[in-house]
Amino acid sequence: MNKDRTSIKAIDIFWIFLKIGSVAFGGVYSMLTFFRRELVDKRRWLTDEEFAEGVAIGQMTPGAPVVNTGIFIGYRLRRLRGVLATTIGQVLPSFIAILIIAYFYIQYRDVKLIQSILKGVAASVVGLIASVVYSMGKKLLKDYKGILFAASSFVCLAIFKINPIALILLAGIIGLIVYRKGS
Amino acid sequence: MLRFFYVLLYINLFTIGGGYAMLPLLQREIVEHYHWLTNKEFIDSIAVGQITPGPLTIMNAFIGYKVFGLCGSVVAMIASYLPSIIIVTIVSHYYLGFKNSWIVRSSFKAIMPAVIGLLASVSITLARTSVVDIPACAIAAASFVLITFTRTDPTFVILGAGIAGALLY
Repeated sequence: MNKDRTSIKAIDIFWIFLKIGSVAFGGVYSMLTFFRRELVDKRRWLTDEEFAEGVAIGQMTPGAPVVNTGIFIGYRLRRLRGVLATTIGQVLPSFIAILIIAYFYIQYRDVKLIQSILKGVAASVVGLIASVVYSMGKKLLKDYKGILFAASSFVCLAIFKINPIALILLAGIIGLIVYRKGS
Repeated sequence: MLRFFYVLLYINLFTIGGGYAMLPLLQREIVEHYHWLTNKEFIDSIAVGQITPGPLTIMNAFIGYKVFGLCGSVVAMIASYLPSIIIVTIVSHYYLGFKNSWIVRSSFKAIMPAVIGLLASVSITLARTSVVDIPACAIAAASFVLITFTRTDPTFVILGAGIAGALLY
């Protein structure tokens, strides 16, 4: 497998990720499907196991998981050149899209119709985040310890306004102590 | 702008557990601490991040553009992805040891639930700004149900909510 990879060009990696980055609406999870289809099924640049590793690593590192998975894949394929090719390719289409939207947003945000649209959108965003909370909670909060971590970080932020970064660090440290024996 | 770069850089360093984990940190720094955006503008940028292809972190470019113009958006992108590039490259190099290390696994086991709690708190803060009347309650509830129980793509839900907003208000 590694022998074949020297023939993979960084520019080809870039084009594939550019393509994935332009069509993968709906964020993270639709993108992973595209990755698998292009890189594992179609081109056989990666094995299924490597892909699964990449997804796991993406979720365990800071930043956007899908970008991190892309970085991992880029590194596996072509080291640093691969990393640059995947990151830029993946992010560029949405970056351009967002600049266009930002331009129009600033120009027209005071128009009455746009304000009505944004009001509807803003309500929907709250529903969306609530849905993320619900789905993540259902998947991850399985024992009383997890529920306790979730509840106490909620109280610390909602009521005591403690810095969320401090809370994440603290949760990590407590986790080291609490879950040490279990692992 | 240097401060903006620095703030995004450390927020992304602590965004563990998915793009949404970034929201509590962003809301705290960008809205409450530095007042670069109002709560309403912050919600708009989440929506924009969601309807564009690619990861939610792209919303940082929107924030950058809104606050500092074109340069701001480029700075936002670099600050958002630089920590990932460095850390994931290092991790990829030693990946077996990383994934199986008990330090990483046990701290993650606690961080993920904590992130859920933080996110729940943020959704309440944002609801106070945007879910203020009956049509908004209906849209928020309908979005929640559609995304949670029907696997509808969030992009379409947000676009639909925009149309509903245009009709209802």
